[in-house]
Amino acid sequence: MMKLTEGLIRVYVAALILLIYSPIIVMIVLSFNTSGRISFPMEGFTTKWYNGAPTGYEYASYISAFYDWKFWIAFQNTVYVAFAAAIMTFIIVTAVAMALRHRLVGRDPLFYLILLGFILPGVALGLGNNILFRIMNWEFTWWTAAMLDTVYAVPFGLILMMARFDPDLVLYERAASVLRASPWSVFRKVTFPLIRWEAASAGIFGFVLAWGELIRTSFVMRGTGVISTYISTELAINPLTPKWYAVGTIVTGISIIALLIMGYVMARGQR
Amino acid sequence: MTAQPSPSAAKTGGGFRPSRYYSYLLLLPGVIFSIIFLVLPLAIMTVVSFYTTAPSSTGYLPIFTIENYISFFTSSQTGTLLLNTFSLSLIAAIIAFIFGFPLAYFLTFHIKSAAFKNYVITLLIVPFLIDWSIRTVAWLAILGKSGVVNYVLMSLGLVSTPLEALLFSRNTLYIIWLQTYVVFMEFPIYLAMNRIDPDLISAAKVLKAPPHRVLYDIVFKLSLPGVMAGFIFVFVSTLGDFITPNLWAGGVQTLGLSISRYANNFLWPYASVLSTMLLVISLVFLLIAFKVVNIKGLFYE
Repeated sequence: MMKLTEGLIRVYVAALILLIYSPIIVMIVLSFNTSGRISFPMEGFTTKWYNGAPTGYEYASYISAFYDWKFWIAFQNTVYVAFAAAIMTFIIVTAVAMALRHRLVGRDPLFYLILLGFILPGVALGLGNNILFRIMNWEFTWWTAAMLDTVYAVPFGLILMMARFDPDLVLYERAASVLRASPWSVFRKVTFPLIRWEAASAGIFGFVLAWGELIRTSFVMRGTGVISTYISTELAINPLTPKWYAVGTIVTGISIIALLIMGYVMARGQR
Repeated sequence: MTAQPSPSAAKTGGGFRPSRYYSYLLLLPGVIFSIIFLVLPLAIMTVVSFYTTAPSSTGYLPIFTIENYISFFTSSQTGTLLLNTFSLSLIAAIIAFIFGFPLAYFLTFHIKSAAFKNYVITLLIVPFLIDWSIRTVAWLAILGKSGVVNYVLMSLGLVSTPLEALLFSRNTLYIIWLQTYVVFMEFPIYLAMNRIDPDLISAAKVLKAPPHRVLYDIVFKLSLPGVMAGFIFVFVSTLGDFITPNLWAGGVQTLGLSISRYANNFLWPYASVLSTMLLVISLVFLLIAFKVVNIKGLFYE
């Protein structure tokens, strides 16, 4: 009986993982399809959607991914956004997580305030920031998107980090401070070396979240802005061809590499 | 590693405490960020919802009016709009629970190796973190007219012409939302289950409790804060997601969609009215949830 339930639950989890990965897998496969439409099964194998030479007169849907210069502008912007969000998430999450370990007056309201960054509806935050930025005359550029992504990523990073704190950390800190280490050197020599992998994984999470965010970003970025807004803008007027699956494969590949690094970093933290 | 403080830390009264001021100083960057990019924008948005639409450079004039709200509440569309929005999110949250709970159970009680657990958690986060445009577009290859599902059905001889109802319906939306948000449900439940004392389960087993009683009376009841948190996370996140319904819901109107449509037409006060209503409703749900369960208890003592 126990063996049967065990087996069933394994099948269930495997099926769910297959379900949530199926579009990604099929997208990668179909990006090599010779047919100009999205259709299964494949007609033949080609890499023309990646590196086909352009004639110079195609619409965006028929320029291969490597030669689509608008995509590479968006790509460059997205790199800025994601790195900025990662660095800010890393700093804020480390600081906030340090503070929230102690019983402070007003700790719970402050925690909830920060948590709201990912609970509140994205569309409301996007609209609110759009109005704010226009009133303040802040230009819509990569840093505006990075700020919104940071507010979104910090709660996730915080949860990731606080769920994994070493319960004995406070004891080490206490030992160091009894031996008259200053708060700064306690942090630098004791605390940070023990939490650096968790903090790094929070930063990488910020990177990946900012890499593909669209709901909030669509309000503070226009057109070619970042990859997600570029694709959604182009697809509103252009047909869906395997070119977009080639683009998707490149972009998803980078997310997955970053997440594998995060998995590795998280595993390092557990040693 | 768990977030539970060790017994020795409890004895010494919370452990190392440099100074309160340092702690508040550390909170400062996070709080400043939240105020500038979260509280301030939402407050300004609420103010703009009371302004008059005008063909000015901003799209509105700072003249107070409640016309916007009157037209919202008297519109014949509003009822359907709210009903659509809430039924979609509610069902999405229930589906996420049906899949997320067994997942969390598996993570907590069936995976022994900590490293393997990390890889499974990472695997589950990936689909949520895939580029938004790409994730939605990728489903076309599965559910589209010449997609995988239709291909399989037709080669098995189950249907003769490709099914078109697979795409552009509420069901498509539920599937994509499940893929996107199941991690929002599974992770809080996992955190809550992690804190269940394994001795309770062994004790129940020794006392010959049937498996379904162990599952319901111990595992489910003790992970209830996680379930509630997950429910709220999925519910409110889907309320704020207008991208997926825009592409895949087949013309079903939601609050989020209307907000983006008004914003695209530069009707800022109207967009702000809908957005403020969405915000107020979400906050009411959050307040109720925070009153009923100790959500912060999932993350710290």
